[in-house]
Amino acid sequence: MIFITGPLYSGKRAYACQMLGCGMEELADRAVWDVQGLAAGCESLEALAEELSRREVVIATEVGGGVVPVDAGERRAREAAGRLSCLLARRAERVVRVFCGLPMVLKGAEK
Amino acid sequence: MFTLVVGGSASGKSAYAESLILASPYRPRYYVAAMEPFDGECRARIQRHRRMRAEKEFETVERYTNLTSLRLPERGSALLECLSNLTANELYSPAGAGTEAGALAAVTEGVEALLAQCKDLVVVSGEVFTGGDRYAGDTDVYLRVLSAANRALARRADRVCEVICGLPQYYKGAAL
Repeated sequence: MIFITGPLYSGKRAYACQMLGCGMEELADRAVWDVQGLAAGCESLEALAEELSRREVVIATEVGGGVVPVDAGERRAREAAGRLSCLLARRAERVVRVFCGLPMVLKGAEK
Repeated sequence: MFTLVVGGSASGKSAYAESLILASPYRPRYYVAAMEPFDGECRARIQRHRRMRAEKEFETVERYTNLTSLRLPERGSALLECLSNLTANELYSPAGAGTEAGALAAVTEGVEALLAQCKDLVVVSGEVFTGGDRYAGDTDVYLRVLSAANRALARRADRVCEVICGLPQYYKGAAL
């Protein structure tokens, strides 16, 4: 599994398409994105990470920057999203961060 | 040479961007300021920065919107600071482009026009995209336009770096 992360609207899906040599429609079959949203309220992040890591590509938006939210629910969601990303990065053979559309490999070899 | 410098607030991106221009052999050095002064605090801050840059022999040019119409008197080096202000001005200032597509075009075409008028260009932009993924209304529009401008300029630039604690991390090109 290849894990792609990066800031909001940084071009992560476009990079995944480029990497896989496919269009946005095909990407829906090969990749799953916005997984940060699945972390909130999830009973077992380990199990979720395990399930997600069977996909070819997993994409998450970084949401842990900025001020810690005042709302307790939002705080928990943000915390869970960050932990999920760590679990996914551990399982991934390659981790790429996309910043302003440009990839930086954080783990594994360059393709 | 076109370098895009991106960073969070108080990351040291401005000082690093300035150092790139000071290392450039091309004169004169223009500083294109996009921050519109709204109050006395802004004005005092701008005056202080202006004096600091005058010592470094920068000529300050203020331009809050419509960068395409800016004419630099000579071909030297230029520092544009910063894209986050320029984008907000194009979206929300009465003199700005107003629409999402119009603001994006005004910013990217404005940078293109600057590029044609100098030998070294450094553009500073803000990293404000890791604080969440659920924004509504104007905030989401602003984030969409600024991120699209960042991506377009990153594609166009010779070098792209993120400044973290004053240290540049290069995503494209290499540190000089």
